[in-house]
Amino acid sequence: MNTERSIEELYAEDAERADAEIFGRKTGVNRRGFLGGAGLAAMGAAVGGAIPFAANMPGGLIPSALAQGAPAATPAQPAAPKGPTLLNYPGKNDKLVVLGERPLVAETPEHLLDDETTPTEKFYIRNNGQIPDAAKEPDTWKIAIDGEVNKPVEITLGELKSKFKAQTRRMVLECGGNGRAFFNPPARGNQWTNGGAGCAEWTGIQLADLLKMAGPKASAIYTAHYAADLHLSGDASRPTLSRGVRMPKAMDPESMIVWAMNGEPLSNIHGGPVRLLIRGWAGSASQKWLTKITLRDKEHDGPGMTEFSYRVAIKPMVPGAKGDPKNFRILESMPVRSIITNPANGAKLPAGTKEIKLRGASWAGDLTVKQVDVSVDFGATWSGAKLDKAKNRFDWQRWTTTLKLPSDGYYEIWTRATDSKNTMQPHQAGFWNPQGYGGNAMHRIAVLIG
Amino acid sequence: MTKSLRAASLVLAAILFWPATTPAQSPQFVPSDEKPEDYPPGPGRDDTFYSCTACHGFKLVAQQGMNRRQWAESMQLMVDKHGMTPLTDADRQVVLDYLGATYPPRAPAEGRGWQNPFLQR
Repeated sequence: MNTERSIEELYAEDAERADAEIFGRKTGVNRRGFLGGAGLAAMGAAVGGAIPFAANMPGGLIPSALAQGAPAATPAQPAAPKGPTLLNYPGKNDKLVVLGERPLVAETPEHLLDDETTPTEKFYIRNNGQIPDAAKEPDTWKIAIDGEVNKPVEITLGELKSKFKAQTRRMVLECGGNGRAFFNPPARGNQWTNGGAGCAEWTGIQLADLLKMAGPKASAIYTAHYAADLHLSGDASRPTLSRGVRMPKAMDPESMIVWAMNGEPLSNIHGGPVRLLIRGWAGSASQKWLTKITLRDKEHDGPGMTEFSYRVAIKPMVPGAKGDPKNFRILESMPVRSIITNPANGAKLPAGTKEIKLRGASWAGDLTVKQVDVSVDFGATWSGAKLDKAKNRFDWQRWTTTLKLPSDGYYEIWTRATDSKNTMQPHQAGFWNPQGYGGNAMHRIAVLIG
Repeated sequence: MTKSLRAASLVLAAILFWPATTPAQSPQFVPSDEKPEDYPPGPGRDDTFYSCTACHGFKLVAQQGMNRRQWAESMQLMVDKHGMTPLTDADRQVVLDYLGATYPPRAPAEGRGWQNPFLQR
């Protein structure tokens, strides 16, 4: 065994050989790894407990515990304090993990998504530009509809509330880059795990109602969204982000303009006083601080629409390769995802614990979740969870199940969801793309019994 | 040493963030002060830090891991899409050398990927 190279380097070069070199593990034709006695003991020692289902660890995967323990590769250790930076923001939970401060971006660890409805304080934060000042008189906020319309509209939020029928829906909002941190090699952008998502009660009107008021021409095929937040550079002539959607999605009854979240006026940090809520698609389509929607006669080309932004490869590409923009299409519906929300990753349970109650959430972009499975043996065997019904279309689906454990020791609990078109989450983030969209690897937690 | 780069960055930062000309951020949140010394030492660190933080926090950079070619593409993206003033070729090499050496591709577990709390370090 070459002791001068890190586990990561060995696995990156030749995963199966690394298995053999490091742990004496041989991968069989069924792709399961089989540990020799010495290798098993070494793995157990590294995670601080016996690994009851070690024989089922997929060959060529870096055992998670060991990957954590591997010494850093060539780069020097940052001088900054290790461990996540936690959020300190008025009205927000101080356990959210900060990915960046300028712009401010923070995600919700999976175990904080354990509420039926995600409280506003626990909801993730994504900004692309500066955070604007809070509107002093929300009802005078103006929204314009122009472009391919017969009669351009300018309407205040106050008028919007009085003119149209309001509706409240519990719907998932999810960052397009959710799951990006699981790509290997790493992809460009904020390194979200699964916490760029939440499910809140949104109150507003159907976007279609306002668009119809402006009379879309037959030539209107795409929307372009604009907002009040300033570009990070402070250049007011440069939109921070301006995305859009195909007209049929904009006209969907669940595509909304919302002014309330969980029964309260929409807070500034979440795009208040008024934002779009284009459920099931990348969160960036749900423009915060909405000021204008322009209907266009072609696909929108604002910041966030072109090249590799919010796009995935049409013809699958080699991970880490240079992409060809011609081979990319817009990521529309987000992929299927299931997370375990209780217990938390790292839970310790008393010796002799024979079963464990799990809770979780699952969602699938424009689709519904058909099935959620869990495994305590690295995916060798799976059992189904009890899947709750959605409260309304595009709600998430909570799930529960009880797992039996054969002995004390170290376990990883995995979950995977299957959507209504029978697409299931993969073991690893696949279909690599330069900016890391569609990363929906199965979620796992580590628990230690005894 | 690339004094021209630093000078240009500072001038740019001064123009962009001079309080009198920059509309106020939300008073609710002020990003914490960052300094080059918060990040791993190496040739070009300070130049890299000031080039990037003229617009955004360095944590956005430091959480990523890419090869030199991908970092070059990121910088081009900043120029093409986000109004970054292009660096001179010499300055650009300095910045890319630092980024490529300090933030190379890392296995997900070493970055922000799944973390195992039972790990014995």
